[in-house]
Amino acid sequence: MAETALLEARHVSKRFGGVQAVDDVSIQVNEGTIHAVIGPNGAGKTTFFNGLSGFYIPERGQVFFRGTEITRMPNWRRIELGMSRTFQTPSIFPELTVRENVALGVLSRAGLAFRLQAPSRGKREACADRVDELLGFVNLRRLAERSVAELSHGSQRLCEIAMSLSTDPKLVLLDEPMAGLAEAETDRIVEVIRSLHARLGLTVLFVEHNMRVVLSLADRITVLERGHLLAEGGPAAIRANEAVRDAYLGKEVLEHV
Amino acid sequence: MFEHVAPELFNGLVLGAFYAIVALGLSLIMNLTGTINMAHGSFMTLAGYLAFSMVASGTSFWFALLIAPLLTVAVGMLVERTLIRPLYKREPLYSLLLTFGLSLIAEEAFHLIWGANGVPFTPPPSLAGTIPLGFMAFPAYRLFIVAVLAVALAALALVLTKTRFGLRLRAAVQDTEMIAAMGTNTQLLYTVNFGLGIFLAGIAGVLAGGLLGLSPTTGNTLLMPAFVTVIIGGMGSLFGSIVAGILIGLTISMTTLFLPAFSEVSMYILMALVLVIRPRGLFGEEGLFG
Amino acid sequence: MKGRTELAVSAAVLALLALGPVLSPSIHIDVSIMSEVLAYTIAAMGVNLLLGYTGLPAFGNAAFFGLGAYGAGLSIQNWHVHVLEALLIGVLTSFAGALLIGPFLLRRRGIYFGLLAIAFGQVFYFIAYRFTDLTGGEDGMNFSRPYLGLPAWHATLDGTGFYYFTLVLFALAILAFALLVRSPFGRTLVAIRQNELRVRYLGLNSDRFIFVALLVSATLAGLGGALFGMLLNFAYPLLLDWHLSGDFVLISILGGSGTLWGPLVGSAIYVIGKDIISTITPLWQIFLGAIFVACVLLFPKGILGSLAVLLGSSRTAPPDAHEADRDAAAPAQFAAERHG
Repeated sequence: MAETALLEARHVSKRFGGVQAVDDVSIQVNEGTIHAVIGPNGAGKTTFFNGLSGFYIPERGQVFFRGTEITRMPNWRRIELGMSRTFQTPSIFPELTVRENVALGVLSRAGLAFRLQAPSRGKREACADRVDELLGFVNLRRLAERSVAELSHGSQRLCEIAMSLSTDPKLVLLDEPMAGLAEAETDRIVEVIRSLHARLGLTVLFVEHNMRVVLSLADRITVLERGHLLAEGGPAAIRANEAVRDAYLGKEVLEHV
Repeated sequence: MFEHVAPELFNGLVLGAFYAIVALGLSLIMNLTGTINMAHGSFMTLAGYLAFSMVASGTSFWFALLIAPLLTVAVGMLVERTLIRPLYKREPLYSLLLTFGLSLIAEEAFHLIWGANGVPFTPPPSLAGTIPLGFMAFPAYRLFIVAVLAVALAALALVLTKTRFGLRLRAAVQDTEMIAAMGTNTQLLYTVNFGLGIFLAGIAGVLAGGLLGLSPTTGNTLLMPAFVTVIIGGMGSLFGSIVAGILIGLTISMTTLFLPAFSEVSMYILMALVLVIRPRGLFGEEGLFG
Repeated sequence: MKGRTELAVSAAVLALLALGPVLSPSIHIDVSIMSEVLAYTIAAMGVNLLLGYTGLPAFGNAAFFGLGAYGAGLSIQNWHVHVLEALLIGVLTSFAGALLIGPFLLRRRGIYFGLLAIAFGQVFYFIAYRFTDLTGGEDGMNFSRPYLGLPAWHATLDGTGFYYFTLVLFALAILAFALLVRSPFGRTLVAIRQNELRVRYLGLNSDRFIFVALLVSATLAGLGGALFGMLLNFAYPLLLDWHLSGDFVLISILGGSGTLWGPLVGSAIYVIGKDIISTITPLWQIFLGAIFVACVLLFPKGILGSLAVLLGSSRTAPPDAHEADRDAAAPAQFAAERHG
């Protein structure tokens, strides 16, 4: 695939009170890649993500998406441009069904949300088909009419992933998608991510602690430590990188993966 | 010209000190548990009436000044324990509504017990008259108010910074879970914190009686300005409440002097300006949506 | 409730309301009280939209209510307009008020939003209080009941006529409300209540939705206020005061926040209750406060809300204990889909 930078961050810095959470971090996410951001606790991964997705605005640095500068852009505008994200704790609509959760994004994408009149039958069916398609991607069709609150943690994550796809993004930011999941559920999600990448040509940027998952999924890995950029490269290079091994709880973590 | 303005400036300072103390009490309660205490004015009025009744039955003013707020604190802590505590796990809206309901009950209760028209609560003779200081003769009672409120403020600062309770309190505002995990009885902390806020309200209530008169609605007339003070000063900032209180007091007194038609709305206009220029308030914390 | 049942219930309620004046003598409730119930209901519907559906503490609605009353009253007093014009002007006044303060309120959420709403509402209160020449100040403003404005019929509405006038407007309002909350716009409001952040991360500017909701809420409050003012032939500053806002919130919660007919139930209890209790004791406010406290502590879902839960209107199926295992077995099906 062409090495076009879909998302680019240059010298992004973010401070909270007395803490420099992110310090001069740059990243280039190329189209069609699966790119991971890793680092020990407190490395600033989620803060960095938040700066990229418009949850916070960095004090310094710039963020570009598809060539447009989005550094100060409100979060909903970024979604319109083709970005999407999930959160560490699944950010879903707890009182709605799975179908309803996914449907809002579809309506939004079709420009039908800020409307008083219900969509015409044709549009309604098209949206319903799209919702079915999205539920199919994450294998939740069976649970479509259930209230999301009843779902297992893993299923809620899958629902959130379906929601993040509902706006037709080119880039999906996944914040610790495996957090709190058992082995079997983790495999499910890895499968889903792989399949989405292969099937839709989706570019994925994800934060993750599970090294096994990272090394098997990612094309490129960025390592952060205490807010700084520590290393960047392909899985083999990162695995062999001394500084990374030192930073990450000792060499065993990387050796036994 | 200055002689004309100076007394009003001083009055503004006195008024501002009131707003600051009431706002501090509100802030303390809000910062820790998110409770918006719409009954704060009622507690003020209660303290005022209790002091009045004590003085009317022969107690000295000074004794009442100390005891009435303490009695009010007892009532306050009881209310917190029984009525407000069940609502902590719910949205802040509910404690707001509950305390609003309590303020309605309180107002009628004051009406019932002490009459609708208000009672004359005159300060003791030792505080009457004026004290000449430099270019102006200051009303003694108002000087007294400023002095008491300053002392209360200093005491509060000491409690918050130098005592274990103060330390726990400040830590709890940052991270309640952590503090609970470290063994602090958070429920008790909430109750004592509430009592502290009410104590400030109580002092203000007793002092307000001699300045603004004492009627079932005295406390409530100070409530909205106190909320505006918290908003302007910035939610989460005690220092902000003090600064904003003084600022508002001065603003109101100056507009009363020069643009009397706008005296009541001046603080709201000030609030609107602050919100446009600095949405989080003068010293507030940066929030996502506020 | 299923669509057809809901329609039937709604029709029944409206039919019952239409019989109000007929039933009035036997139930000992004056027609003017019934009109008051409807006016308050419309205002409470505005609160319900913001609070029950969008999840925002709507504490400024009395300001819009009062603006409606004053708008209608001033136009009647100064321009001698007829009843529909007065109504329109009252509503437009509230709408204008919301346009003015809306942008400030949008900067904040949660309880901060509520406090700002109260604060700005108070500005209108003090303006009415102070500008005595215009508004009659503390004593309020009397005005006559406006004419119907029909070319052949120079008349005003009497008590019963005014009730039916109010009822028609109420029916229109509740129909519009029902359509609104069932629309995509309305569904987005409900989503905002549950998770505003996610709504934004689905590409929607929640501020826009909230602003429109605020405008609609203010318009409803203004409609209620204009009707109320014309009912009393009187407007006074306390109609703008935040304590009345608190009463509207109580009415909304008491009846059932987030339900269509909740405001009517709450308003009926409030208005009729106040009317009955105040004949027994001047201390009706203690009862009001006690109801507030009891409602908040004991049944926050309100009457219709609690009823909905009791009747099992929630559509959740019983939880699936083995779901995790079943889902784990799914990859085979999933693999089939991939190649499908």
